[in-house]
Amino acid sequence: MSRIKEIIEETGAFDCVECGKCTSLCPVAKRNKDFAPRLIVVKAQEGMEEEIKSDKDIWSCITCEICNDMCPYEVDFSGFIQRMRGEAKDSGNLPSCSQAGAVHTMERMTGMGQKQKRLAWLTDDLKVKDKGDVFYFTGCVYQLGILYNDRAPELKQVPANVVRILNAAGIEPVVSDKEVCCGHDLLWSGDEESFEKLMEQNIKVIKETGAKTVVFACAEGYRTFDMDYKDFFGDLGFEVKHISEYVLDLVNQGKLQLSAEGSKVTYHDSCRLGRHMGVYEEPRDLIKATGANLVEMSSNKEKAICCGVNAFVSCGEVSKRMQLDRLLEAKETGAEAMLTFCPKCLIHYNCLLSSDKKPPELDGLNLKVRDGSNFVAERLKGGGKSS
Amino acid sequence: MEKAEVASRKGKRAEIEKSVLVIGGGIAGIQASLDLADKGVIVHLVEKEPSLGGRMAQLDKTFPTNDCSICILAPKMADCFGHPNINVMTLSEVVGIEGSKGNFSVQVLKKARFVDENLCTGCGECLEKCPTKGVQNQWEQGLATRRAIYIPYMQAVPRAAIIDPENCRFLKEGKCGVCKKVCKREAVNYEMKDAILEFDVGAVIIATGFDVWDPTSSSEYGYGKNPNVFTAMEYERLINAAGPTHGHIKRRSDGNEPKSMAFIQCVGSRNIQTGHPYCCSVCCMHSTKEAMLATEHIEGVRSTIFYKDMRACAKGFNEYVERAKKDYMVEYINSDATVQGSSSAGNPIVSYDVGGKSQQKEFDMVVLATTLVPSEKNKVLAKTLAVDLDEFGFFKVRDHVFDPIDSTRPGVYLAGYCAGPVDIPESVAMGSAAAAKAMEDLMERKVYA
Repeated sequence: MSRIKEIIEETGAFDCVECGKCTSLCPVAKRNKDFAPRLIVVKAQEGMEEEIKSDKDIWSCITCEICNDMCPYEVDFSGFIQRMRGEAKDSGNLPSCSQAGAVHTMERMTGMGQKQKRLAWLTDDLKVKDKGDVFYFTGCVYQLGILYNDRAPELKQVPANVVRILNAAGIEPVVSDKEVCCGHDLLWSGDEESFEKLMEQNIKVIKETGAKTVVFACAEGYRTFDMDYKDFFGDLGFEVKHISEYVLDLVNQGKLQLSAEGSKVTYHDSCRLGRHMGVYEEPRDLIKATGANLVEMSSNKEKAICCGVNAFVSCGEVSKRMQLDRLLEAKETGAEAMLTFCPKCLIHYNCLLSSDKKPPELDGLNLKVRDGSNFVAERLKGGGKSS
Repeated sequence: MEKAEVASRKGKRAEIEKSVLVIGGGIAGIQASLDLADKGVIVHLVEKEPSLGGRMAQLDKTFPTNDCSICILAPKMADCFGHPNINVMTLSEVVGIEGSKGNFSVQVLKKARFVDENLCTGCGECLEKCPTKGVQNQWEQGLATRRAIYIPYMQAVPRAAIIDPENCRFLKEGKCGVCKKVCKREAVNYEMKDAILEFDVGAVIIATGFDVWDPTSSSEYGYGKNPNVFTAMEYERLINAAGPTHGHIKRRSDGNEPKSMAFIQCVGSRNIQTGHPYCCSVCCMHSTKEAMLATEHIEGVRSTIFYKDMRACAKGFNEYVERAKKDYMVEYINSDATVQGSSSAGNPIVSYDVGGKSQQKEFDMVVLATTLVPSEKNKVLAKTLAVDLDEFGFFKVRDHVFDPIDSTRPGVYLAGYCAGPVDIPESVAMGSAAAAKAMEDLMERKVYA
């Protein structure tokens, strides 16, 4: 069986009845009339392998999973795209990457053993351990903060703030400078080989610390561990939790006090945390626990509009229009800030907000797109200190 | 030969040899009852609603002939109710069964109607005087309201009023009593109690029909969000001359007549995610019918039907679809469609795929062909009757090929949608088939007992 046939079988694309519901819901198809999820599947089913390998549509998909969520026949379309990208890449059909692929290069190099100062953010006031039950997987958020300092400098504070939150609840998490990028962007841009290298390194590092629970403040890392690592590696031997679930538990158990402060905010479901992982309520409950007045945008939860870019691939007009639509929805709520737990969403929205070609519709918009962990850390009762 | 004594509806006692229990007074149950009764078998027909008729009574027309649904059904309802061999019990449910094929003993819970249906003439005077207004009329799909005392619908059989104890002031608080005062026939009786009735029967026929799926949980169709998105059942009531708008198609938002209409098929059916992977078997045809009727009600209206596959396989069905295209200018688009937002005028925007290109179009009204699902009550009934349900919640047939009428328990037969997707003619055929099967059981005893 050819590999494409295998992908069709395993992702359920074989069950597609060509009803077109995916196209009717697809945010890319809505803004780019030449793109249709149904056509990509049909082409693969009909054996037009050569065409699909040179087809740019494979890279136009933003893997937001609205189609997966709504497909009557449960076709795993994003899984299909993820694996077809590997095939496309092998036959020379390459994506156009943001910043000429700087992020991908960085991630690929760490997989080859390039050392990074993963703990450069760690200051003396933060209590961390080398071995223990709870591992905080920081991911690339600090590095992304440096790389995108012009639009999302806030990202650099995320790891320290996460440790601050955990410390305030009496938890000293394990952090490690041997951890590497989770490989999310490489996997979604067709480089399975490098992805597997990173995965093996990360699992090894975490296992050495004896951690039972791994906490993520990054939606992509969380998805990658919980879904992709388990697919590629099998049982990980530790539990993975998103920060919103983990911290909400601490709040509910009374181990963590948050100061009540009535700012008006809205929450953006990132695709990875929302549709991919089905985590909708915990981030909202956590934000509400800070005393914030949480208002919903008109598209929320499984209907949330995606930030328009995945894995730093194919950023273009469609992405910008999606970002604009989302920010206009946020504007309508009258919220001071739009919170999210995905560093990529943060970068992409702030990219549009800080652009000199900012669309006129956004003039006078006084909305900040902010990271949820930072927001929570600023509202810690006593001891919590934000920079 | 043992003989059973059975109380008939009219209170007389009739000596019979054997009788049959039919559960469900829709078209399948009515057909089975009439077939049996005409052959001299006593039938106990149990209906949970206050009137016979079932779902067919709610429909405006039937396909592929566009006959008026209630006009062809009402005579059968009346025949059934007036038949000397049929004991119709409304507001009743089966609560127990013992015995085996040929010799069952069943218990039926008959809920209080609070109006004596033998005395009530259906004059309607009480309805006008009842002070509790604005109760949602479920039979009209919530598109109309009723009082606490009401007649289920114009052609209801029995045509007798009923008091809804949840909303009646007298039954709740002991105050009021207006309906009793105005009733010249003294039919209102607040003291009426639920009763358990017992019967011996030789066979049982289940014909409990279906529920209509509620699309509110499905965010992609805008139902419940955009007022101009309707379910097909709501639309059937809208176009019905006896319905809440007297047959005028009106938008919920502004009461205007739509000039363009979209009919979206397979809403909730052929969908693993909603738990209904089966084809509902009727929505291709009823959408076609509804689009035709739109043209008959509103001059110049343009209708578009969005379909997954056109399944027009029975006699005259394909011709019916061709007629819709040719004579009614109905446009058919082969794409699943969703409602993605609404325009400033409150028009739903329908999104679909034509040849791999995403399209958006505004319509004045959208009608969702929501799937038909097994009744929730099937679970309880299946347990009571000790029969199995299939993986979807329909009653399981013993064999799809050679025993399509038999349930998993000998002597218990199935008719209509409760056994799986069928249309009206098939339900009628199943009703007759179930009657024949039940008859066989009775005959068997006669010959060999």
